[in-house]
Amino acid sequence: MIKNRTAEVTAALILVAPFALIYAVLFIYPTIQMVLMSFTDAPLIGDGQWVGLKNYAKMFADRKFQTSVINTFYFVLLTVIPNTLIGLAIAMMVNRLNGWRQSLILALFFLPYILPVSVVYRIWNWMFDLQFGVMQYPIEFFTGQRIPVFRTPALFLPAVAFVTIWWTCGFNILLFLAGLRSISPEMYEAASLDNAGRWKQFTRITWPLIWPVTALVLTIQLILQLKIFDQVYLFVQGGRADPSMVMVQYIYVNAFQKSQGGYGATIAVALFVLIIAMSVLQFTALRARGEK
Amino acid sequence: MKTLMKLAMVTTALMSISSMVQAKETVVWWDFLSGGDGVRMKALLDQFNQEHADSIEIQATTLEWGVPFYTKVQTSAAVGEGPDVMTYHISRLPLGVSTNTLGEITADDLASVGLSEADYAASNWQAAHIDGKQYAVPFDIHSIVLYYNKDKLKAAGLLDDNGLPKGLDGADNFKAALQKLKDGGTQYGISTGTADGATQWRIFYSLFNQQDGKFLDGDKFLDGDNLDKAVKAASVPAEWVKDGLAPATTEYAASIALFTSGEAAMHINGVWEVPTFTDLAAKGQLGFEWGAVAIPTFFDHPATWADSHSFAIPNNVGKEMTPEKRKAVMEVIAWMNKHSLSWAGAGHIPAYAPVRDSAEFKAMQPNATYSVLADTAAFDPVSKLAGVASPVYDAAGNYLMPAINGELDVQQAMEEMRDDLQGQVE
Repeated sequence: MIKNRTAEVTAALILVAPFALIYAVLFIYPTIQMVLMSFTDAPLIGDGQWVGLKNYAKMFADRKFQTSVINTFYFVLLTVIPNTLIGLAIAMMVNRLNGWRQSLILALFFLPYILPVSVVYRIWNWMFDLQFGVMQYPIEFFTGQRIPVFRTPALFLPAVAFVTIWWTCGFNILLFLAGLRSISPEMYEAASLDNAGRWKQFTRITWPLIWPVTALVLTIQLILQLKIFDQVYLFVQGGRADPSMVMVQYIYVNAFQKSQGGYGATIAVALFVLIIAMSVLQFTALRARGEK
Repeated sequence: MKTLMKLAMVTTALMSISSMVQAKETVVWWDFLSGGDGVRMKALLDQFNQEHADSIEIQATTLEWGVPFYTKVQTSAAVGEGPDVMTYHISRLPLGVSTNTLGEITADDLASVGLSEADYAASNWQAAHIDGKQYAVPFDIHSIVLYYNKDKLKAAGLLDDNGLPKGLDGADNFKAALQKLKDGGTQYGISTGTADGATQWRIFYSLFNQQDGKFLDGDKFLDGDNLDKAVKAASVPAEWVKDGLAPATTEYAASIALFTSGEAAMHINGVWEVPTFTDLAAKGQLGFEWGAVAIPTFFDHPATWADSHSFAIPNNVGKEMTPEKRKAVMEVIAWMNKHSLSWAGAGHIPAYAPVRDSAEFKAMQPNATYSVLADTAAFDPVSKLAGVASPVYDAAGNYLMPAINGELDVQQAMEEMRDDLQGQVE
């Protein structure tokens, strides 16, 4: 077949141009500006003086920044793997149901996911309320006293992680369910004919075949949770924000509340680098596993 | 195509005619009043628009209180997209001025609508100025007050013949009164939002100023013996919690519920909660007689934390305000001040003295009882690190609140608070 190469290239360019343009204007340009801004003492609005590496020097010596990095990774640890495993477990259980029962149970698990974060905050803050919260009954039963969960620094991030898993698990279940459905039932039939038990079937069939979905869920979760802000910000309002400060929250405090755009940008650059590094690391690790 | 063009031309012509006929100024207004006081402000705005049907129209928008409001104001003014007039916490003026967000209000502006310094309390007027220039016109003074359950205080012998609390002055007397109330069978003598940094800051700052403390002296936080005064101030509520006279780590809303349900005999909170109790009592759901008085004198002399809702004009970059519009904006500000009696229904004390001195306001309860605090008001330190939703408020959450709940030693907490804030001074 004879093709007009020039016409093809033109068509391709025209089709790609809108995306490229939007990507450049809304992503590349702001990213470059952010990096440039981190070398200035700019306020939230307007230009600042070039201060070289001063912001970076300040950042590495800043104890609150170190806390925020540690807390961010702690939160990732508390959410990413548990959320993935719980999602898979529930998906496998839902998968065993049929017809309307499956739809109903799936809907119930998915319901929290459609709630806005402010509603999630209201619900759980009320349930854990020291004087009036319903969760204080089991807490008092097991520990013998009421505990202000969101006002106890040691419990704060685990509690927020718990709420986050409750809130976002539905989406992972959906992804896993799609993955599970793509596994042909004949494999399980063949396996059971060969006398393979449930655990064998899981380790030899389900787990390897679901791995691409697992890798996807892990990656999405990792990036999402490194950017954690909303829940932590809402639950800590009025309380001890510093011990549980996470990185995006610290960017917000510096750039918006204190109007130090330059320093805020510096922390944003640090987060940007961290996310890229973590994603590359994880991607490499997961691919290595997948090829085995 | 031709008809379309014609239509467009006719429409344009019509529009220009109608705008000539109108000659009506529109004033774009932003506020952050969304609670009970928002309802009252809405009524005032409607009344204004009705009375000025052929001259001025206010187009009002309500935005999120706190950091989101001040961020939006700052960013929009920088690109000339801010409102013509907005509500502003007087304690947050330093930030607005340092970021060049606020326009100066001149003596001529005020004179043009008949407002002057004599119409405002001295400390309030002073707080509207930064470096000798005025950036806001005060609208109200709001503070914290002591709410009390008349039935419980009467049973404990803590009411005088006029039904006002007695014997509460002095930290020891107050604590003894709390103990008496608790012994009388009430779970808590007093409830305050002990899980809320902002509430604790307001109480702390009142007690601190009753000892003439200076939270920020020049650019030094809690310098010299001010640290000791801070420790003394924070120790008072910390002891209530320690001795079980006040509930620990209690959320803002829960602290109100403890009072309304009768489990706490007294409650310290902002005057803005007056409508809550008024409405509950009106519906017959409160179950007891309530009252509110100015915070007792725990130390040397009366002083209470206070802030002001005020009006400010943004410095809209690249968008010069016409003299006509400026006149209209000042008219709005003056009118609101002169009609602030209904605003007092939200618990606030009108900043405008002629209203505060009027017979109608003096008959208004419980506002008239605590209106004395307009003269003993202690406004937040003047710094861009202080004021509503500022680093100082955050520090209150980080250090003061845990100290009051016994999680941190008071002395150590005050030192850490000082060092943290000092570290943020540039």
